[in-house]
Formats: sequence, structure tokens, C-alpha cells
Amino acid sequence: MSSLMNLSSLTVERGGQTLFSGLSCQFKAGEVVAVLGPNGAGKSSLLLAMAGLIPATGSIELTGHPLASYSRNELSRSIAWQGELPPTEFGLTVRQRLELAAGEDAEMLESTAAAMDIAPLLHRPLGELSSGERQRTELAALMLRDTPIWLLDEPTAHLDLKHQIHCINMLKAQRESGRAIITVLHDLQQAMAIADHLILIDGRGGAEYGEAKHLFESHKLSQLFDAPVVAQGSVLVPDYGGK
Amino acid sequence: MRWFALLIAIAVCLLLGLATGEQWINPFAASEALEKTILWELRFPRLLTAFAVGGLLALAGAWFQVLLGNPLAEPYVLGVAGSASAGAVTGLMFMPESAWAMSAGAFAGAWLGIVTVMFFSHLGANRMLLAGVVLAAFWSAVLALLLALLPEQGLFRAFSWMMGDLSHSDLPIPVLLLAWAIALACGLFLSSSLDKLLLGERHAEALGVDVKRLRQRLLLLASAVTALAVTAAGTIGFVGLVIPHLMRLLFGSLHKAVLPASAIGGGLLLVLADSATRTVIAPAELPVGILTAIIGVPVFLFLLLRRTQ
Repeated sequence: MSSLMNLSSLTVERGGQTLFSGLSCQFKAGEVVAVLGPNGAGKSSLLLAMAGLIPATGSIELTGHPLASYSRNELSRSIAWQGELPPTEFGLTVRQRLELAAGEDAEMLESTAAAMDIAPLLHRPLGELSSGERQRTELAALMLRDTPIWLLDEPTAHLDLKHQIHCINMLKAQRESGRAIITVLHDLQQAMAIADHLILIDGRGGAEYGEAKHLFESHKLSQLFDAPVVAQGSVLVPDYGGK
Repeated sequence: MRWFALLIAIAVCLLLGLATGEQWINPFAASEALEKTILWELRFPRLLTAFAVGGLLALAGAWFQVLLGNPLAEPYVLGVAGSASAGAVTGLMFMPESAWAMSAGAFAGAWLGIVTVMFFSHLGANRMLLAGVVLAAFWSAVLALLLALLPEQGLFRAFSWMMGDLSHSDLPIPVLLLAWAIALACGLFLSSSLDKLLLGERHAEALGVDVKRLRQRLLLLASAVTALAVTAAGTIGFVGLVIPHLMRLLFGSLHKAVLPASAIGGGLLLVLADSATRTVIAPAELPVGILTAIIGVPVFLFLLLRRTQ
């Protein structure tokens, strides 16, 4: 299957500092790539660069053409980016937020809101929501974007356990429907549950791409996070020590 | 229903604006030539000027609030009022006898302020706001210097203009009304992008908005509209700050509703305020900026408390 997006020798800088360099990989339809790494390593910046929202050196190609050759409007039809919504002071409601993502198809909007458990919140201003409710609203806004590529920055952040599981299952379903999903995650078990490939960004300028089954290894992840990660049966978990 | 109420409000305010003043005149029963002259040659043009200027200020306020991502922004936040006032006083200083020197000076001063602010438009919203606040302080200092140098006989005219004065507008009314309509049309054309900008610049870009271009257009549009309003009627505060918030409370946050409601609501507030200024100490007049502040401050504080609760 041909790739939707290619990164070649990608280098991302923020504030004059190189976050990582030399990342090359391909993203195909119907696969999930999890981005892992310590805080500040450049995981979110990678997504922003892939969405064309910040500059990067190296090459990013979307369906064979340089990302820079697309207008913002064209990019928005191919790539949906989900990140934390900044505080908004102008009274925008949940329904209006969803309409901004996907137009005014009321039926679609309401079914998506119901799927993300936010149907009772549709008339509430965004400023009055809890962090988890805002996150679910953003996920619903993402679900309304019918783009072949989704870029998600910590989609399970602020969610309770029920909604974390719901979110991961929703991403699995989207993968089955042929979407390419690239997502930053902090939870190793969630990454193991969903990722076909991994991008590991180490925070020291390095980035590695490979199949999840090869990179999910306790020694490698311990090195990546500079923290103990141990195998418990078939899963890798952080080692919090005894009680 | 709310739009219907706004239509009723337009009719009521226009009738009040026509009827009130030094002398109460029933617009439906005016029969004497003098009454007709007062109604249609004095009050009606002034009422149209007030409506257009109020609408322009409210539109500019709504745009600046979104452009800067700051609910406290208003048309004068980037120093345009200060530069326009400095220009007006300069005009008065060098051509004290000229009827149009203040307006011409204000227009030139406003554009000088706008061009200066444009140098900072590539910075993010917060830094542009900071630059604007600093520039406003600069223009205030220039204005203070000019007022200190202004001959005593010019001071009353200068202060009266600085507090808002609809009695000496030099701009033709059709120009103001056309500007009101064009500004509203431009705003409606941009309304979908403005809505997305409410989500923050990054989310707006991700939804397909060319934010850099939108910011430049918006800054130019809001500044030009402010310059026109200031040239027509001096600096009139609070209309541009309060009306967009009031209309968001009544009509929601989406700009396809906020902008027309603000263009009408701002106009009506200024019509009411101007009617009051012509009436309360008749035959003398208060500067209209005093009344808009007296109405605007309590309304704004109410909104602030409501939002906090």
C-alpha cells in the first residue's frame, strides 16, 4: 500500500535548539503510529511540523508532494490535528465548537457527541467544562473531520479510565476504517494496545522509527525515559518499586 | 425574536433621537417649517452620523477582541485614539480657524498610528497588544505635550473633541453609512474564519485558516474603521468595548450574528447617548463620550461580574 505521508531526514527546532534530527519514516492508511518520549523531547512539535503548523528542515511529503506545496485549506482537508484547546473567553459552546470542525450537519454532530458522551454538554460554553469534558469535546471535533490522516497530541490526557478505554477503542475502529493515525501517548499500555509502529524521541536530539514489536523492549524504553520499565508477563509497565 | 426586538429598538431609538433635544418635537405631528427644519436638517443627519459611528466602533471592537484574543480589547487599544488625538490637536494648533483642520489632522494621525502598529503585526497577539499599549502611552505623552503648547483658546475645542463630539462632523453622511455597510459586509465575509480564530491561532490554522493573512486583513480593517470613526466624531469610549460583549450575550458567539448585531447595537447606543447629550443640559450639550462612559461602565462591570460568577 502506498504511503500517505513520508518524512525524510526531518529535523525540528524550537527556540534555536534542535529537538531531534534525521527522522525518516512513512505513514500508511490503516495503521497507528505512537510517538513516545520524555517531556520536552519534541513529540508535540513533530505533530505540529507534520501538520504544517511549524517549520521543519528535511522533507515532509503528503501523497507524494511537498507539504509546503499545499495551501492551508488543502492541508485541512487531508490532515486533522488535535491538540489541547487554549482557554477561550468568548462564550463559544460545545455545539458551536463542533460545528466549526465539521459544518452544521446536526444529525452527524449529535451522534458523534453521543458517542463521546458529551450530548448533554452541547449547549454549555467551553469555558465551563472540566478538562476531561474539554478533551472529549476535542476528540468529538476530531471524529467529525473526515481526513485520511489524524495527528493526536495525548488524546487520553485528562480522561477517566472509562473514557481512556473508549478513546483507544475509537482509534482502533478508525484504523480499521483506513485512517492513518499518528498519536503522542504517555501510557505504555495504551501504546502497546494500539500501535503498529513507534517513533521514539529521546530528548537528546535522537529519534528512532520502527515496528512496535521490535521497539517495545524494557531496556530500550528504560533508556528512552531514563526510568525503570519492567516486563510483567507480556506487558511493559513502569517500575514504581514496592509499597 | 431577538432580531425582531433589535428591529423594534432601531425604530424606538430613531424616533427618540428625532424627538429629543432642546425642544421636544413629535416627528409624526411636526407641521411648522421650523420644526421640520430641526427634525430633518439638524437632528436626522446627526442621528445618522451617530448610528454609523457607533456601529463602526462596535465592529472595530469586536474585531480587535478576536484579533488580539483579549476580551478587554477595544478600538483604541493599539494607540489609534492617541495618535488621532495628537493629529487633531496638531491640526488645531496650526490652523485654528479652519473648520476641517482637526478632522484632517485626526485622520492623518490615526493612519500614522495604524502604520506604526502594522510594524508589529507579525508578532503574536500578546506581543502586538503589548506594543500597542506602549505606543498608546507614547501617543498620550505626545498629546499631553501638544496640549501644553496649545493656546488657551483652543483648549476647550480640543477637550470637547477628545471626549467625543458629533456636532462638528465634517465627513459626509453617505460616506459614513457606506463605510458602515462595507465594513459589515467585509466582517460577514470573514466571519467563518473569525469564528475559528476564537479557538486560538493554531486550531484555526489546523482548520484551514491562513491566520497570518487574516490577522493582517483584520488589523487593517479594524484600524481603518477606527480611523474613520475617530475622524468623524473624536474619541468615544466604551461603545467598542461593551457592545460586542453585550451582543455575544444576546446572540451567541458566532460572528455571522455578533457582527450585524454589534453594527446595529453600537449605532443605537450612540444614538441614545447623543440624544441624551443634547437634552440633559439643553441648550448646552455634553460631549457624547461622557454619556457612553456613564452608560458603558456600569454595563461592563455587570458583564464582568456575571462572567466571574
